Amino acid sequence: MIDTIEKEDNIISEEEAAQYDRQIRLWGLDAQKRLRGSRVLLVGLRGLGAEVAKNLILAGVKGLTLLDHEQVTEESRRAQFLIPVDADGQNQAQASLERAQLLNPMVEVKVDTDAVESKPDDFFFQFDAVCLTRCSKDLMVRVDQLCASRNIKVFCGDVYGYHGYMFSDLGQEHHYVEEKPKVVKGSNEANDGPEAKKGKVDPNETTMVKKTISFCSLKEALEVDWTNEKAKSSLKRTPADYFLLQVLLKFRTDKGRDPQPDSFAEDSQLFLQIRDDVLETMGLSSELLPNTFVRYLQMQKLMGGLDAPHRNFFFFDGLKGSGVVDYFGSK
Amino acid sequence: MRTFPQAQTAACPRRRNAEPTMTQLVGPLRKELADSLFSCRVLVVGAGGIGCELLKNLVLTGFKNIEVIDLDTIDVSNLNRQFLFQKKHVGKSKAQVAKESVLRFCPSANITAYHDSIMNPDYNMEFFRNFQLVMNALDNRAARNHVNRMCLAADIPLIESGTAGYLGQVTVIKKGQTECYECQPKPTQKTFPGCTIRNTPSEPIHCIVWAKYLFNQLFGEEDADREVSPDTADPEAAWNPADAAARATASDQDGDIKRVSTKEWARSTGYDPVKLFNKLFKDDIMYLLTMDKLWKKRKAPLPLDWTEIQQIESSQEESCGMGLKDQQVLGVQGYTQLFRRSVETLRSQLIEKGEGAELVWDKDDPSAMDFVSAAANLRMNVFSMNMKSRFDVKSMAGNIIPAIATTNAVIAGLIVLEALKILNSDFDQCRTIFLNKQPNPRKKLLVPCALDRPNSNCYVCASKPEVTVKLNVHKTIVQALQDKILKEKFGMVAPDVQIEDGKGTILISSEEGETEANNNKFLSGFGIRNGSRLQADDFLQDYTLLVNVIHSEELEKDVEFEVVGDAPDKAPAPSAPEEGKNIANGNKDSAQPSTSSKAAAEDDDVLIIDSDEEPSSSTMEASPESSNRKRKHHDADDAASKRKRLDQQPSDDDEDIIALD
Repeated sequence: MIDTIEKEDNIISEEEAAQYDRQIRLWGLDAQKRLRGSRVLLVGLRGLGAEVAKNLILAGVKGLTLLDHEQVTEESRRAQFLIPVDADGQNQAQASLERAQLLNPMVEVKVDTDAVESKPDDFFFQFDAVCLTRCSKDLMVRVDQLCASRNIKVFCGDVYGYHGYMFSDLGQEHHYVEEKPKVVKGSNEANDGPEAKKGKVDPNETTMVKKTISFCSLKEALEVDWTNEKAKSSLKRTPADYFLLQVLLKFRTDKGRDPQPDSFAEDSQLFLQIRDDVLETMGLSSELLPNTFVRYLQMQKLMGGLDAPHRNFFFFDGLKGSGVVDYFGSK
Repeated sequence: MRTFPQAQTAACPRRRNAEPTMTQLVGPLRKELADSLFSCRVLVVGAGGIGCELLKNLVLTGFKNIEVIDLDTIDVSNLNRQFLFQKKHVGKSKAQVAKESVLRFCPSANITAYHDSIMNPDYNMEFFRNFQLVMNALDNRAARNHVNRMCLAADIPLIESGTAGYLGQVTVIKKGQTECYECQPKPTQKTFPGCTIRNTPSEPIHCIVWAKYLFNQLFGEEDADREVSPDTADPEAAWNPADAAARATASDQDGDIKRVSTKEWARSTGYDPVKLFNKLFKDDIMYLLTMDKLWKKRKAPLPLDWTEIQQIESSQEESCGMGLKDQQVLGVQGYTQLFRRSVETLRSQLIEKGEGAELVWDKDDPSAMDFVSAAANLRMNVFSMNMKSRFDVKSMAGNIIPAIATTNAVIAGLIVLEALKILNSDFDQCRTIFLNKQPNPRKKLLVPCALDRPNSNCYVCASKPEVTVKLNVHKTIVQALQDKILKEKFGMVAPDVQIEDGKGTILISSEEGETEANNNKFLSGFGIRNGSRLQADDFLQDYTLLVNVIHSEELEKDVEFEVVGDAPDKAPAPSAPEEGKNIANGNKDSAQPSTSSKAAAEDDDVLIIDSDEEPSSSTMEASPESSNRKRKHHDADDAASKRKRLDQQPSDDDEDIIALD
């Protein structure tokens, strides 16, 4: 799909060149073409989903499918900027469609109002990349597994309060290129002057270095064995956010929703209990866990095949203002 | 498969009077904070890349009273990231359209939009005092300096930010508690010596700068400091010092080249492209060749001839569907044709505008860009350099910084988080945060650093700011002191200057017309000499600067003044870390809008953004950009600040020192 660029996609129109000028100057024309050939599925249109939708649409993907089975409520409407004020009761994805499309008429924006759990396997195969927000652990593991077989990139992420996480599975063999400036050493015949004596970096002379990197499945990433010595010794450098993620996912599975500030008393108790259970199952101490997270997505760099992707988790702590990239799973 | 049911909103109680969604939306916020968001007034300076994301974030977080100011109008190249704007809005005011778009998804927000420059004296201290918080979303240093001073004067917290490509940063400025924006000197835009531009270019950028100067000399506002003709007074051209002096005098007196201005000469030929071409790329080059000393160690330029070029087979011009049309590199013939076409178009534009008209350089004006692209490339060809595509020339000529939506989105999110800390009086939690492209060795992509205390020697926020300036009192005119030193260098907008001579002689008055008669007089004519002190005030900024004058007759050629204690302007490009900071601080020194029709002459001094060679730190997994940032920001833990390498285990992973190389 994005590995082969169809013939018609070779030509960038004047309109695209003008609109995408500033980003083409960043990631290059080739990456822009690859973006332009990509079809993406986005599940969940709350605050996070709306941001992801905006960023992907502005970047100029070929198509974006907005999938959400939930209805607009006052709360969900105030969480994002795509849903009009009078849309209470409508389907969330449907309500977001018009404004999403207006962000960039050159992208095919579609809506799907089904629940993601109800989708058959082959539904996912039409996409080059899948983004999952607000999904259960089981669903994410399932989708991740079936996408791996088709080399479809998978991203998962959620936000809770001041914290967030993002997970990416780009497959066993993800290819990318890094652009390195060429160093012109010594004098080249065009410029014999004194200035040419030091090695000059001409920003236009670059060389593309091909690289390959592998990602593990979400299942593997979440089922790291912490009982062996090596894992234990790396605990000190492990962001607590990873364990928080595990607890939140379990909360979501057990309770069918995320912890809510309005049911703080009840939820915090359950949360702590789940935390104890989860950490105990992992053979770890409850002391490992105090915080929560948010999220950030960098689909464009990935879709363009440019630059080393973040591997494989990103954790954001809004209280500290820190964002950490870390790898969990078999190395 | 378990379904994920809807949130149980029915079970959530709502408070009737306050906005019901405050604590729901941003659960962790306490009621007091939520209420203060509702009542506080904030100012957003800039409605571009960061501005659009920031406005969206502010209203979604619950800020109710927002004022936004931007002098610019919407351009199609903004649409890849400034998502509050659509194609139909091109040409309209950014502040105005941003306000309208935001109101569509948050009609209850109270937004005031100003299509204006923040440096307009209407926005005085009183204006700033209306706000509890000011957030910059700017792209140029002049405006940042100005807002910095206004916020210091009004004692209002300021959140400063910037982005460039994948990189970004946010920081907080609070009078008396943190560094102000001007506490640390920032490298000024790189400038090139006149003789490099006029006589001995060695890089494409020199030719591009020359072409822009040429545009102004021919079609725009002529500038005596930006000549394009061969510089006969070039010290390098002289075989001996006496010769140099003779040349200098000769060029002043004889000046076949100097006496008739470029514009007058062009006009006299009716802007004939062929005559122009031959003068610039043949006759002037041949003149340069007579200055043979210049070419002893350099490859001599090769003049072009119009007629000869016409006879070249035009084989280089196949259009290739693969790349952008703009990314093709044409041949000499192609650029010659482009030169002719653009001269003709610009000529008609001039005629249309009428007597005494001047065109203004604008990278988005196709003919202006065509002209510079053609002229620069022809000159590159003359000086045996590889020619560049229009796409690349535009990047350099227009100081374009590549930009995407996501970086701005992240930074805008961080701005709001800092804003919440400030409003919550959690000032000790505020940080400078850097967004990198790759994680550092501590795995951090977002790196928070503690804020620094003010610099007690800061020439802006110190209690009695003072500087020392070296110049030639016999050769510096009052106007230069005002424009180049006080405004450009020291960021004043409307300076008032008196001499500390016991009489309080007024040298410059900000009131229009009052001291105009002084403008062209030399400083020495007012008794200013070595050791004199000048008191410069900008009343708008509530800023007083004491200027100590040192007289010198030994300044470098083309250097009008030097600030003692500054790094020299022509130092090698700063190392990656400083540059990282400054890339994100904007590509422009002046505050002119990108799409304004009245850009000042000093608008686009070209800034080199390209980085130094990447250091080969193969031990670092992180990219050199992030690992090499030599930030002075200190860890809360003092012991940590002594650690140089981060392959050691941190004892407490709170904030980090970035790896120093």
